[in-house]
Amino acid sequence: MHASELAEQVPTVTRETTALEAARVIAEHRLGGLIVANDAGVPVAVVPGTQVLKLFVPRYVREDPSLAHVYDEAGADELCAALEDKTVAALFDSDEITTQSLPSVLPEDTLVEIAAVMVEAHSPLVVVRDRGGSYSGVITFARAMAAIAAAAARRQPTTDTADSDGPDA
Amino acid sequence: MTVQAILAIAVFVIAYVFIATEKIPRVAAALGGAALMVIIGATGADEAFFGEETGIDWNVIFLLLGMMIIVGVLRQTGVFEFLAIWAAKRARAKPYRVMVMLVLITAVASAALDNVTTVLLVAPVTLLICERLGTNPVPYLLAEVMASNIGGAATLIGDPPNIIIASRSDLSFNDFLVNMAPIVVLLLAVFVVMCRFLFRKAFVYHADRAERVMALQEREAITDPALLWRSLGVLALVLVGFVAHSALHVEPSIVAMLGAGLLVAVSGLTSGKYLGDVEWETLVFFAGLFIMVGSLVNVGVIGQLGEAATDAVGDNYFAAASGLLFGSAILSGIVDNIPYVATMAPLVAGLVASSGGSTQGGALWWALALGADLGGNATAVGASANVVVTGIAARNGHPISFWTFTRYGVVVTGVTVLLSWPYLWLRYYL
Repeated sequence: MHASELAEQVPTVTRETTALEAARVIAEHRLGGLIVANDAGVPVAVVPGTQVLKLFVPRYVREDPSLAHVYDEAGADELCAALEDKTVAALFDSDEITTQSLPSVLPEDTLVEIAAVMVEAHSPLVVVRDRGGSYSGVITFARAMAAIAAAAARRQPTTDTADSDGPDA
Repeated sequence: MTVQAILAIAVFVIAYVFIATEKIPRVAAALGGAALMVIIGATGADEAFFGEETGIDWNVIFLLLGMMIIVGVLRQTGVFEFLAIWAAKRARAKPYRVMVMLVLITAVASAALDNVTTVLLVAPVTLLICERLGTNPVPYLLAEVMASNIGGAATLIGDPPNIIIASRSDLSFNDFLVNMAPIVVLLLAVFVVMCRFLFRKAFVYHADRAERVMALQEREAITDPALLWRSLGVLALVLVGFVAHSALHVEPSIVAMLGAGLLVAVSGLTSGKYLGDVEWETLVFFAGLFIMVGSLVNVGVIGQLGEAATDAVGDNYFAAASGLLFGSAILSGIVDNIPYVATMAPLVAGLVASSGGSTQGGALWWALALGADLGGNATAVGASANVVVTGIAARNGHPISFWTFTRYGVVVTGVTVLLSWPYLWLRYYL
């Protein structure tokens, strides 16, 4: 199966999107992260969901995780409410995110190539672009895993046959 | 003076400039300087690795390593977070009282552990409390780091300069406690009062914000009570070991390493956890620094300077102590007090030796310790703890500029050093 067959259209956000709206996008579309697009709608970055969580958890709590335990329910809710005051841009302006090239694959790339890019970029999303740079969609982690499972299932009977034809048969 | 001695001085000065200006990482500067000392023949393997006076002071390195491992385990217990929040709630979340409690916790912990790791542990929870209070955390962080430098001065292990002084002078943990702790307690009391005026704008009380602090659940910070009790037990043993080390004829570094080993054994933590807080860069920096200073000893530069200083001082040790106190305070504000004390320790050792072991001569060590420890408060680069706190503040969106730090630091250093001067006079020279 090729990348072009796995690509799907997912909503993108911009630097100005609030963190609260970004959280809604991830939740409603069950995405592993965010595709950040420029003003022309062209994807420029992928932000994994765990990085988006950084907008919710204060840095001092990330540096000292035992502090996460001292918040009560109301305190945790206050942190959630604060997402409305933050934007996706805060992630990019922070020194915590290492700016890296947009993880992308070519339409004709195979599952192995897709998986390799996801692993290397630690990204649950990769965009599909042709050699000219035209964007045709996004491959999600779930879609890639489903394709891997399906490919393995198709391959299973062939493997059994090969085993039965072997020298030990 | 030989050509080799002149070359050694040149290498030392150049490396020192790089360390002070931080044009290149200080570890690179110290190791580069040490390498050049070897190349010019100012030192060799025997002197650098096995010479107590001319090379790496392993007592200092292993004392620091042991304490870093102990703190690394203690950190896993959440005890600092518990204490800080508990204290803020005991203060009814009233800002000045909160600051006083945090200052006292930081000062005491800095004396019992070391000031760099103490501020590393107290700063995040301070940011949390200030966020809950809706107040600017910068005054609180400044007060804490200054308290850590003052409190750390009280003991042999509290401040890295004291560790160096103890090793070079053969002074015991109890010597530091008896000679330094009384003035540190007084300085701390004065500092607490000073905070009321220095940071007066930070003390705005809002009942609704105070409620947000009171809602914090400090007990939840302690996730493994068994580990906490085991760690506190070992820490108590280590402190007893420090107090008794001279009677037991055991070096403080051995006490720290035995404590670290015991704590690792009883904690059941993985190496990634208990070694995670070891500042390897700092240890390597110390090693490079010791080789550079040792090279100066080796080629006779320190000896000549020591003779010149002895001639200049004569038997006027109070003048020497005054010069050391104020000079160290000024210089420690300009360069990190660790390289400063590493350089000065052999010189002071020569002066003390020439006094024939008199009390007046021996008090020069206390003048050096007070000047360097308290002078570290003057600027953001004066002490390692300052660098740690300004870094944490900046990462959390509350940058502390060099001048903001200096504005408060110079006042605190000035007052504390001026108060230390009559203490030295009354206690050792009257």
